[in-house]
Amino acid sequence: MAEISAHETVSGQLPAAKPAAWRLGPGRANAVPIILFLLIGFAAPLLAVIGYSFMPPRTFGLWQTPTLENYVSVFTGTSYISFLWSLGLGAATVLLLAVICYPVAYGLARVFGRWSTLLTLLFTIPLFVSENVRIYGWILFFIKNGVLLGTFKAWFGVEPESWLFTQGIIVLGMVYVYLPFMLFPMTLGVSMVPKETRDAAFDLGATRWQVFKEVDLPLSMPGIVIGFLLSFVLAVGAIAEAKVLGGQKVIPITHDIEIAFTYSQNWPLGSALAVLLMLVVGALVLLVLRRFDLDTILGRR
Amino acid sequence: MFTSKLSRRNFMQQSALWASAFAAGGTLGVRSAMADRSKELNILCWEGYNSAQVLDPFRESSGATVKAESLTNDPTMINRLRAGEINVWDLINVNNPWAREVMWPEKLIKPLDRARFEPYYEKMLPAFKPPYKWALDGSGQELIGMAQRFGPYSFVVNTDKISKESAEDQGWDLWNDSANAGKYGILESDDWNVFNLCCIAGFDPFKEHSDDEVAKFTDAAKRVFKGAKLVGDIATMNQALVSGEIDFHMTGGTYSVSPARADGATNLRAITPKKGPMAGGKGGIAWIEITSVVNNPDVSPLAEQFLEYVQDPEMSHTVAFAEGTFNPVSQMGNPDCFKLFTKEELDAIQWDTLEEEMAASAEYDIVPDYDKLLDIMTSAKREASGG
Amino acid sequence: MTTRSPVIDLRQITKRFGNFTAVHSIDLSIGEGEFFTIVGPSGSGKTTVLRMLAGLESPTGGDILLRGQRINDVPANRRPTCMVFQSLALFPHRTVGQNIEFPLKIRDVAPEERRKRALQLMAQLRLPESYYGKNVTKCSGGERQRVALARALAYNPDILFFDEPLSAIDYKLRKTLEKELKDIHRETGKTFIYITHSLEEAMVMSDRIGVMRQGRLVQVGTPNEIYTAPNSKFVSEFIGDVNIVPVRLVNGNTLQSDELGAQFVAPPMPSGFAAGHLVVRPESLRIIERREDAENALRGKLYNEYALGSRIQYQVRVGEQVFIVERLRQQALGKQRDSDVLIGWNTADSILVGD
Repeated sequence: MAEISAHETVSGQLPAAKPAAWRLGPGRANAVPIILFLLIGFAAPLLAVIGYSFMPPRTFGLWQTPTLENYVSVFTGTSYISFLWSLGLGAATVLLLAVICYPVAYGLARVFGRWSTLLTLLFTIPLFVSENVRIYGWILFFIKNGVLLGTFKAWFGVEPESWLFTQGIIVLGMVYVYLPFMLFPMTLGVSMVPKETRDAAFDLGATRWQVFKEVDLPLSMPGIVIGFLLSFVLAVGAIAEAKVLGGQKVIPITHDIEIAFTYSQNWPLGSALAVLLMLVVGALVLLVLRRFDLDTILGRR
Repeated sequence: MFTSKLSRRNFMQQSALWASAFAAGGTLGVRSAMADRSKELNILCWEGYNSAQVLDPFRESSGATVKAESLTNDPTMINRLRAGEINVWDLINVNNPWAREVMWPEKLIKPLDRARFEPYYEKMLPAFKPPYKWALDGSGQELIGMAQRFGPYSFVVNTDKISKESAEDQGWDLWNDSANAGKYGILESDDWNVFNLCCIAGFDPFKEHSDDEVAKFTDAAKRVFKGAKLVGDIATMNQALVSGEIDFHMTGGTYSVSPARADGATNLRAITPKKGPMAGGKGGIAWIEITSVVNNPDVSPLAEQFLEYVQDPEMSHTVAFAEGTFNPVSQMGNPDCFKLFTKEELDAIQWDTLEEEMAASAEYDIVPDYDKLLDIMTSAKREASGG
Repeated sequence: MTTRSPVIDLRQITKRFGNFTAVHSIDLSIGEGEFFTIVGPSGSGKTTVLRMLAGLESPTGGDILLRGQRINDVPANRRPTCMVFQSLALFPHRTVGQNIEFPLKIRDVAPEERRKRALQLMAQLRLPESYYGKNVTKCSGGERQRVALARALAYNPDILFFDEPLSAIDYKLRKTLEKELKDIHRETGKTFIYITHSLEEAMVMSDRIGVMRQGRLVQVGTPNEIYTAPNSKFVSEFIGDVNIVPVRLVNGNTLQSDELGAQFVAPPMPSGFAAGHLVVRPESLRIIERREDAENALRGKLYNEYALGSRIQYQVRVGEQVFIVERLRQQALGKQRDSDVLIGWNTADSILVGD
């Protein structure tokens, strides 16, 4: 009876009226509402998107003859440019974040002591402000005659070229917005490394670098991997940075999806792009998780 | 400053909209036809009509629950009706051709009582005197909606960099001058960008296009997007104009520049080219919003009441200066309404030249091969980014 | 023991953390090949001393000499010393073999050589060869102790430090491991410096013991010296069950206990002694028939008795104070609770200590 899914029971008759084989254990029975909620709230929209991706282009119903046309047009068109931009910007963001966050995480976990709480708070506060507002803040900072260039002009009399609306500023924006998503798991990871274990490695003759390589890095890997995955998935799904800071110099795949759903009114095409994005990101995440099995890293297996 | 449009551009929000649209197709559509809708009104509109300034007095006087959702392009709204939300909405507010040429033939909207509503047109600005083309169906028999906000919509310049006169004379050729690369922006209003690119390529957007014209369009799209300093929303465009990042941007008019002008940046100005490829040699394009009653089988009785409510001089002025963007309204033909506008407000909407700009503009119409041109443009935009 | 040449010399070693002084000016000399144990309650500063010796903390004042060379500024990874930590600090992401080979890998020893040495150490520490590829987190507590020790030995240090490695181990296994450790000490001939809060554990293994209290080294001596001649009430109490009576010197060699209202003959006392504690071990205290049977005697009531395997322990109440008397099982008293008993001791079996 353990094999009966909650779904079957719900769609079937009253469980109590059925023979014993139909009865659910209390745990599973209690899980039914949550499973239903997840099916409706999570699975249904996803299935709708998948369904739409097989509908003829520029149609609005879900009950037509399925077609692969949308996927064909994605693969024969120039959408790959957008995919590459999204993945490339995501990768660049994650790598920069790793380099920036590790020392900060190390400091938060080991060096700053009671200042850590304050610093953590400072890193958290921006999360309470809408991402768009923060990005517009950067616009005001970097724009011609803005905070940075305006001040520079006032002090030195020369005005350098504005950095806005370039690929570099997109990465800066993404690094800024997704920093906490790398920093906090990483800090957790670093603080999970026992002090005595590091002392032991050092005492056994390891240099500071060897301690880092042999102990710190592998033992904080769960936090690092989670930070990588979290910030990568978010960064690949980013859109505002490219649209606002980048002045749409770059069209990431998310923007393509948005265009398909709005101006193009091509829901099936947008759905196909969304499905492909999910597949690409999902595959990458699985690949990473296979390579870095969290339980193995933690020595639980 | 010009941040009013930020949130609308948020992708997550857009996604949520689509999720709700999917859901609406399935669940809302089967809502009981017996539901009492006398205290409920749902409006699908461009922003402004969804503001508290406009809705709250109506909510108070009618005691009804009024829900208004704003979107920033016409096809999206119409496709939501097509996707099954015709059972949800009572009023729809879109640009002129969509009511007459798309929604009416598709039976997405229903006619208004001509005797009750046509007299309102008598009091509007002269251009709207009945019979007003965009308020009527193709046969001229049925009144299908009410006009209110309108405006010329071609491009915007910083007159400190390019004078009004030279911009009007040069017109769309501003984008054909390679010296201007890197000096202009493009508003992310993709449907209008298609029109503008047609004008830049030298032909009328509102007709079926030949292969030769499509090829010219493709070239223009690649060139114009490549040369753009940035693409962004209205707030970004105005910010970039004020700061000097750009000198001018395409797709723009009183609708987009009025918030900046109201904020004191009167050196920014909507420009209507003196000549161009449109019928009659016109160089500009103008829009007129038409608000229609949705052909909802269970339409709210408040729908028509609301249409009358916004004709009131006071409310017309509120609509003109509702949050977001500021626009002229047809009701300004009524002295009772016009006198409510201050000098600054008239200046923000460029009242001084409004009449001649409207006269120099062709009225927004349907582009028969819009889908094809949009795909070409989207691809050109992407390739420009691929560099 | 004193004939050994010193391998470690502590000269007025002091360690302060902010305003807190963890270690107060310690002087100590430890001989080559010695098994030296520092014992003290938690917070007494013993771990800090060990960490300074290992190079994981630097002293605030004083010098650490290794065979006469000052090593204050030599970092842990360059000292010929190695520590077995309280938590063992094994590398959880590595196998038993990789853990043991770690110090060899650090020194770029060839993999084959590393493996050979690891297996050798595993054999010496009675770890099955099949454990070589086993994840350390899968090992039992005792096995992990052996891996940690093997790893430290693989470093081939001159001095091994142990920071209470057996504290989390159950009694029986601890007893086994204590003996094993002493055997390893003998086999390797290395200097072992061990830390524990259990004097009993220290007694079993050590050549010499240093007792620490509140950052100070209060007594250093062989287990026998510490046991038979504690120099303070603190040390004598630390050893285990003990009878302590506060006394003052009234004249010549007569001690007065005000609580008990009794007088005793004083054993040899430090010069200038005026008041302190008289210490009598439970096995030196006897149940006697008549007062004359011992040089000092007290009358009390039998309160309770406990069987301790080969011995029996009696608690005898004299006034408010409870005395502990131990006898061999064969000499069981066979008396009822609350019956009157006479306890006594010979002056030579008692010690006078200060605080």
